[in-house]
Amino acid sequence: MKNVIAFIEHKNGAARRSSIEALCAARTAADALGGTVHAVVAGPQAVAVAAALKAYPVDRIHVLDDAALGKAGIDPLVDALESVARSAGPSLVIVANTMIGRDVGSRFAARVDAGVTADVTGIDVKDGRVACVSPKLGGTTITTCAFKNTEYGVAAIRPNVFPVAATAGAGEIAELAPSDKTYSVTVEDDVEEAAAELGVEEASVVVSGGRGMGGPEPFTGMLHDLAEAFGGAVGASRAAVDAGWISHGHQVGQTGKTISPPLYIAVGISGAIQHKVGMRTAATIVAINKDAGVPIADFADLLVVGDAFAIVPELTKLVREAKAAHA
Amino acid sequence: MKIVVTVKLVPDTTAEKRIDPATKRLVRTGVDIVLNPFDEYAIEAALQLRDKLADGSTVTIASMTPESGREVVRKALAMGADDAVMLSDPGLAGSDLWATAYALAHGIKAVGFDLVLTGTQSTDAISGDLPGMLAEYLGVPALTYARELDVAGGRLRVKRETETGYQTVSAPLPALASVTKSANEPRYPSLKGIMGAKKKEIKTLALADLGLTKAVGSDGSRTEVLELATPPAREKGRTVTVSDGPEGARAVLDFLKSRQLL
Repeated sequence: MKNVIAFIEHKNGAARRSSIEALCAARTAADALGGTVHAVVAGPQAVAVAAALKAYPVDRIHVLDDAALGKAGIDPLVDALESVARSAGPSLVIVANTMIGRDVGSRFAARVDAGVTADVTGIDVKDGRVACVSPKLGGTTITTCAFKNTEYGVAAIRPNVFPVAATAGAGEIAELAPSDKTYSVTVEDDVEEAAAELGVEEASVVVSGGRGMGGPEPFTGMLHDLAEAFGGAVGASRAAVDAGWISHGHQVGQTGKTISPPLYIAVGISGAIQHKVGMRTAATIVAINKDAGVPIADFADLLVVGDAFAIVPELTKLVREAKAAHA
Repeated sequence: MKIVVTVKLVPDTTAEKRIDPATKRLVRTGVDIVLNPFDEYAIEAALQLRDKLADGSTVTIASMTPESGREVVRKALAMGADDAVMLSDPGLAGSDLWATAYALAHGIKAVGFDLVLTGTQSTDAISGDLPGMLAEYLGVPALTYARELDVAGGRLRVKRETETGYQTVSAPLPALASVTKSANEPRYPSLKGIMGAKKKEIKTLALADLGLTKAVGSDGSRTEVLELATPPAREKGRTVTVSDGPEGARAVLDFLKSRQLL
C-alpha cells in the first residue's frame, strides 16, 4: 500500500467538506508512505469540483464529468474509484463516513477483497504499514486496526476530525474514461426536504433536543433557530425521535449517529448512555436542562440549569449579535 | 419470491460492552445477546412485504453466529419469519467485516434469494458497510437506506434516505436493500408466534457448505487489531444554575467565548 486515493463526494458543483478532509488525510498518509495522492471525482459538474480541488494538497485529480451518472446511483461512482485504484496499484482509499462514502467505500472493498475500517478518527503509518484508529463500542474502546492479506485498504473517516490544509499540490487533472456498463439502478427522483441544512454528521455545531422538548414544535422552532444562528444542524435524542417529533436522520446516539462536532448543545437531554455514546467525542459539550441531577452533568463542559424555553431564544439572539459583530 | 433477511447477534444495547485484551474480540459471555435492533426493521419490512404480496413469498433469516445464538435467531422466527439459516463454524471465528461479508454472501447464495434485506448498521460495530459488500459479492444492485420499499413487476423500488431528503430509486430483482429505522415499527412476537417458532426449521451451514475460495476467520481477515485502548473519560465540567432566560443565555455565550467558539 503506497498511494492514497480520496473519494470526493459533491453536490451542485461543490465538494463536501468531509471529502476535503479525506483529501487532506490522504496527503498526510501518502507522505508517510512515500506515495502520491489521487482524488476521484465523478458525476454531474465534476469538472467544476475538480478545478476547486486544486487548492488542496492533491497530486492527481481523476475526473469523470457526466450528468447522466446522477441517475444511476452509486454504481458508476464505485466503477470510477475502482478504475483509479487498479491503475494506481496497491493503495489506501479514504472515503468520508457518510451515507454515500460508506456505500462507495464498502462496495469498492468487496470488489478488490480489501479490508475496511469504519468511523476512523486517526491514520497511523508505521514501517510502511497503515493502521486506522476507530472508537468502538460507543467510544468506550479505541481500536487500532492494520490491514493485512490485501493490496488495498479502505478507511471511512469520521467527519469533523481530520484537519483541512488549504495548500495546493500538483493538482494535475486526468480524465477518466466512461464505463461501457449499463447500470441497472435508476434514480427516479431526488427530493430535498431540508435543503439549507447540513446533516448532523458534518455540521460543526449541533443543537439537539430531547424528551424535555415536550413536542415537535421546538425542533422546527427554537432549536432550528439556534442551529441556524450557528450555521449548524438540529439533532435529537432517541426519545424525541421515537415520539415522532423529528425524523430518524437527526438522531444522535447508539441507534442513531455517532458524531464529533466542535460544539454540541444538548437541550432537555438527560444524557443516558444510549445518547452519550453518540456525542461523547464532541470537542465541547454544553447542556441546558431544568434538572441539575441529570447524567449529562458528569460529562458536559457546561451545564446550565434553567428553563430551556426561556434560555434558547435569548441565546439565539446573542449568537446572532456576536456573529453580526464579527461579519 | 424468496426474501432473505440478514441478522446479527449483538450485546444488549444497554449492556456494558467490553473487548477482551487477550483475544482482541468482543466479550460475548456474561452479557445478554440480542438481535441487532437495526435488523428488526429489516425483518418487519420483509414480513410486511410477504404479507402484502400474499403469493406464497417466504422470509428466511440468515445469520452468521455460533451455535449459542440459536435461541436468539428463533426470536426472529417468532416475529413471523418462515425459516432460518445459521452459518456456524469454528473456522468463522474472528472474521472481520470483509470475511463476514464474503462468507455471509456465500451462505445467502447457498439458500437462494430474490430479495435480500438488511439493517443499516449494527449497534456494536456501527460500520454500516456490510450491505454494500454483500451486494457486491451477491452480484446484485444495492438500494441502501430505504425508508419505504415495494416490489412490483419484478422491480424493487425504494425511497432512499439522503442527508437532506430522499430519492426514489429502483432496480430489477434480484436485489438487496438496507432498511432504516424510519421504515416501520417492528412487531413484538406474539405468544402464537413464539410457540410456532419452536417448530420452524433452523438450518445450519458449516464452512465446507459455503464453497469459499478464500480463507476467512482470523487468519483470512483483511484487518487485524493491533491495539486496544481506553479513552480518557470526559471530565465533569461546570454547572451553573440560572434564574431566567437572559442569565442562562449569557452564561452559555460567555463560556463559548472563553473557548473561542464564538
